[in-house]
This record gives sequence, structure tokens and C-alpha cells, in this order.
Amino acid sequence: MTINGVNMRALMLLVIGLALLLIVFPYAYLPERMRFELAGIVGTPSPEKRLSVPTPSYEAQEESCPPDLLGYRDAIVIEGVSIAAASTCVGDNPYAIAAFVKGTNNVSQETLTRAGLAVDALHKGRDLDGDGDADEIHIRLEIAELNGGSPDSQEPTAQYQLAPGIAPSLWVFVPKTFGMATENFESNQAMPLLRSPSPSIRIEQGDRVLITLENTHYLEHTIHFHGVDHRYVKANGEGSDGVPLSSELPVKAGQSRTYEIQARNTGTSFYHCHVQTQSHLPMGLQGMFIIEENLPNNTLQSMNIGAGQVRVRSQESVRNYDQEYDMHYSDLDSDLNNIVQQTNDPVAIKRWLHGAYNISEGRSNYFMLNGRSFPYTFRESLINVKENQTVRLRVLNAGSEGISLHTHGHKSTATHYDGVRVPEAAQLTRDVFWLASAQRLDLSLRTVDDGVHSYGPGVWMMHDHRGKGITNGGIAPGGNMTAIVYDDYLRDDGWPITQGKDFGQFFDPRFYQRIDSGKAQALSWLLLLRLMLMGGAFGLIIKGAAHFIRDRG
Amino acid sequence: MTKLLIVLCALSLNLTVEAQEHHQHQANVDGMVMNHNVDTLPLDCDSISEDVIIDVRAGTQYAEVNGSKIYGYSDYEYFALPCARVNVTLHNDDDVRHQWMLHGLPRYLYPEGMFHLEANAKSSVSGSFIVPSDDATYLVHCDVTGHMEKGMKAQLLVGKGAGTLWSIPTISADFNHNDRIPAALGSLVIGSLAFALGLALSLRYASRNIANKKRLS
Repeated sequence: MTINGVNMRALMLLVIGLALLLIVFPYAYLPERMRFELAGIVGTPSPEKRLSVPTPSYEAQEESCPPDLLGYRDAIVIEGVSIAAASTCVGDNPYAIAAFVKGTNNVSQETLTRAGLAVDALHKGRDLDGDGDADEIHIRLEIAELNGGSPDSQEPTAQYQLAPGIAPSLWVFVPKTFGMATENFESNQAMPLLRSPSPSIRIEQGDRVLITLENTHYLEHTIHFHGVDHRYVKANGEGSDGVPLSSELPVKAGQSRTYEIQARNTGTSFYHCHVQTQSHLPMGLQGMFIIEENLPNNTLQSMNIGAGQVRVRSQESVRNYDQEYDMHYSDLDSDLNNIVQQTNDPVAIKRWLHGAYNISEGRSNYFMLNGRSFPYTFRESLINVKENQTVRLRVLNAGSEGISLHTHGHKSTATHYDGVRVPEAAQLTRDVFWLASAQRLDLSLRTVDDGVHSYGPGVWMMHDHRGKGITNGGIAPGGNMTAIVYDDYLRDDGWPITQGKDFGQFFDPRFYQRIDSGKAQALSWLLLLRLMLMGGAFGLIIKGAAHFIRDRG
Repeated sequence: MTKLLIVLCALSLNLTVEAQEHHQHQANVDGMVMNHNVDTLPLDCDSISEDVIIDVRAGTQYAEVNGSKIYGYSDYEYFALPCARVNVTLHNDDDVRHQWMLHGLPRYLYPEGMFHLEANAKSSVSGSFIVPSDDATYLVHCDVTGHMEKGMKAQLLVGKGAGTLWSIPTISADFNHNDRIPAALGSLVIGSLAFALGLALSLRYASRNIANKKRLS
């Protein structure tokens, strides 16, 4: 139908198309002025229907305190080494502890097998000063990748969870083991010796210590002994500070290097990889390094797997304290750590760590104590005390950010900073201690109910007081929270008797899933329909306009 | 029938004892051998069909360069006849330990179904095992964390084998491709398709409509 030379059909298509577009175009995206005008004609639109968000209910996916089937928590004597009971729900393998005390060269094959350690993992040699303990120590460390990428599976390899459902990739120094890296062939879980943080290492002042880094990793690494008395170069002229820029070339994949230490001082120190430190350190290549006073018969537990309670203590610790705990605080940014899951190409991993991840824009989102975040910290890192005890806490902040360490119900005393004793008169007693990155602090926690040192028995939280420090990726409760638990408040299995919220919900991985991860899942059907209609409207407009113009022309 | 049961019981007892004997692993300064077996036949074998010698080297220098792997074996594929005795020597050319671990053997004979060699730095270890009679492909790898992923993955084909495993350097492709599709891309594609469908339908409708009209007029 043509009126006055106008193709009415084409005009109609054009008008319908425009109208349709106007209707289906998301109202919120129209220019403000147009929305006012439209509202004047058709009225204000009704409020958008609220998306129904179901109230989540979380159920425990695992036991908060798994039963100790192997009896690892019990006090036990193995190979003549008496190992104190673990008060926490999960205890370290006592056979590994015995091997770390006597040396893997001085224990039976059966003990080694039960420990999972290689025969040369820790060699203890001669007693050089004749005081009843070995002074020649040779430690072999390997590097393990936890939650690593795989060319075959979407599942990470050698898995290790910080908290329920949270498993960022980690690199850790580990004692030399043998056999499978996982619990067994069917399991993807890393064997217990392969965990974060790297083990706390204990040596005696004056010991002749060799530490061999057997680089089982696919990138280059070194060890830098931070705060540990060591020479810049070894006798053979090889650098010994672990710094690729100044002292030595890094240890390549498949190669090894031995560091020599004979420390004159004592104190709580730190060791870490010094290659591309801004990424290798937060990847997990960090551990506590403790030098104990040289005393007779001072047979040390040379490694403390996963830090935490020290079950075989030094003579000095036995003399001055009732208990000792290694408390290794750290943090990580999962954007960095998960790079290694994105590709299996080591060249790409190296390039991405170097140029894709930008730590100056990065933000740490997970906060760990002894390699775990709450609620797992409650399994492994509770401080179990009796009244009138003096407990030594060796604290290391290996994280990239400072922490504001707070103890509920207690004020503890700072006896050492960075391994150096604070003069008695200058020692501060407080309930918040700020620890800068890499700083160490020895605390003396006294459980005397005097209103200052302790407010009496209970389950007293202990945590980083920064808001994010008590979260897992921003979701609380999480982070590096643990507690000081008095005997009366501890169940036989090592779980605290609390009177607040049920902990079961925290053992459901969904509790720690961010809500926006669900929102971005897919397009809604309504939006798809809308897009289709918009396409249709454009079609009508194009076709209508084309004919209209052609006919007019 | 009872007789048969007794024989079976005796047989299984005997096997249990043997399995326990084999469970003991031998470790020395060079490394270790687990589940070494030179003479106990699998149930389905009457005799040893052949002796296969595998002499394999391990280390960073064998890594497949083009595949950007870091660790590797000198050989990634081994062959044996059913019921063969496989004698493996693993030479480690690195300064860190490496393994030649084989999975999937019968569990009544090899605890955990595994044969395992572990060679310390610059050392060699040897061991033997006897494979059963079925055509099968066995996974061989180094289980130090990341070593399989970064190149130490191989396979033993017995008889005709049972296919090829994924991501064996020089033999098969990676199961995962590195270029993973970002999650948002899927939505973008679906959205664009919906838009295009609408556009196509309306263009078609409009063309026909106008064409019909023209024909009529």
C-alpha cells in the first residue's frame, strides 16, 4: 500500500521495530531525560521483582575433630625419645618426631617408614663439644607444590586445604621423603609431611649445620637464612646469603646446593626463598628457624612439621617454660598463588609470576596460622594451658602485611624481638602486639589469674585484630584465629568446649563461598528473550528503513 | 567341592604370606626398590614368557624441550609380552631424587598394586616384576610433587596394551589445553546468538512481508 509515495508497509515495520526496541530495551539504561518523558506517558514502572535469595543453611561436611585413629596425640616413647602428648585434636606423626630428634640415620627402617622420611633427610653426626648431643647436623630440604596444576585433570595435584573448600596453590620446603607424594594412589591428598608452612627448623648454637636444598621444583630457588648467623660466602668461595642479585646464582630444577651455618647467637629467626621474593615468599617458601642455647644433653627436635606445639623441647625451654609453641603467621593472595593452576607450562608460569601478577595492586585475601585458616586452626593450633603455667610462644610474621596480634583474657610479655633478648626492665606486657612483615617476637604467656596476665580459665580467642585477618577471603569467621584454652574447657579429643555458635556450619565449604560467584553463573532466560527481541527490533528497523529510503529515493 | 575350597584357601593363604614378604622394601644409599619380584607368577601365568630389560635414565636433561617440560625420562614407552618379567634399571642424572613408579599390578601380589624404584641423586637402582597376562597399559611416573605434571610420565604396554595414556611426552597430547575458556565468554556467546537469531528472524519476516506486498501491488 503506497500513500503519497510512502511505502506504508515499510513505515509500519519501522515504527513497530522502534516501539519494540523501546519496550525491550532495559529501562534502566535509557537516558535519564527519556525515562522522565516515558514515565509521563505510561506512568512510572512498577518496582523490579526482588530476586528470591534462599537463606542458606550450612551443614557440617566433615567432623570438626576427626578421631585420632593412629594414636598420634598420645604421649609416647619411640626409639628412646619421649614425646609429649599433643593437646590439640590433630597431632603430628610421632615417628617423624622421633626421627627428627635422633636423626634419620640413627633410627630403624620401620620408624623411617612410619615417618615417611628418606634415610638421609636429617643426618645427625658427632658430638663435637662432648656435652651429650650431636653437633653435626645435615638437613635435606626439597620443594613440594601443593594444589598444583595438572595437564590431565581439572583437580589440583597433591591437595592441601587451608580451610574447608579453600585450597590455593602453595610451594613449600619439605623434609626429604620417599615414595608417593599423596596419601595413597587413590587419594589426591598430599601426605602429611607435605604441608604449609615449611617446617620450623631447630638447631643449637655452635652446631655445624649443613642444609642442602635439593630443588625438586620446576623453577629456580635459593634459601636465605634471615636473622640466622651465617657467612656471606662459604670456605669454597660460593655465595651463601641466598640472594640471586648479590651472592649466588639460584639453584636450578634438579640441582642442589648446600648452605653452611654455625650460629653464634640464639633466637627465633626465619628462612625463605630469595628468588623473585615478592612471589616466591607468599607462594609458601617460608619457615621458622630457631637457634637454641647450647646446653648439655640438648637433643633437639630438629624439625617441627607444620609448626605449632613443640613436643620434644630444648633444655632451655624445659628449664624456663612449661610449654612451647611455634606460631607461624602468614598471608597470601589467591590471585598470585593460583597462577600455577592456570597452565602447566613452567615458562608461562615464570612469565606470569613476573609480569602478569602485580603485587603492588594485589591484596592478600587468606590469613593463616601454622599453614591453616579457621576453623582448621582449631584442630591444630589451640594453645592448651593449665593455671599458673608459663608458656613460650615463638611468633613469626612471614606475611606480606603487618599483623595486630591480640590475646583475649591475657596480657603477655615480649621477651625477645628478632631473636634478641629485651632487657628485663624494658619488657612490655600488653594484649596487642604489632608485628611487621618478617618480624619475630617471643612472648611469655603466664596463666596466673591476677587480672593482668590472665583473667582466669576459659576459651580465650587469640587473633590478628585487623578485620581482614579474621576472614577467609573476606568471610568471617576465618583467618588466623585460634584460642588459649584452659584444661577444664578442653574435651578429651582436643576440641574446645565453647558456649557460643555451633561450629558445624564452618565445616561446610559453601559457608566460605562468595555470593557474587553464584550471581555471575549464567544469563537469565528473561535477559535472553530480551536480547532476542532486541535483535528482532533491529531487524525490523533496518529492513523498514532500507525500503522506506529506497522507495522515497 | 570342599576339596576345591580347601585348595583355594591354602592358595590364598600362601599368597598373603608372599605379599607380605614382598611388601618389605629395600632401601640403601642409592635409593629404594619396592615390591621387587623375580619369581612369583601372577595367577593367570604358567611361566615367564620373556625377560624385558628397561634401562631408563631420568633427569632435567631428558625433558621434552618443545613441550616446555622440566623433568623427563630417556624413554616414555616400554613394551612387554603378557607374563613377561620386566627388569628395570633407573639411572638418575639429577642432584635430586627421582622415581619410576608403576601402578595397576595385581594387589594380591604387589601391595597397593605398585612397583616402585626410587633413585637418589646421581644413583642407579634396579628391580624386577612380573606382569599378568592381560593386555594392559600401565602408568609409570615420578610422584615427587609436580614431576609427573612437568614431564615424568611414561607407560608400559603389555601385549597389545589398552590404549595410550594422556600427556605422555613425545607420545600423547595433554588432556587439558592451556587456553581455558573464561566463564564470561560463554554468556557473551549465548547472548550474541540470541541477538543474532532475533535479527535473522525479523529480517526474514520483513523481507517476505515487503516482497509479498510488492507482488500484490
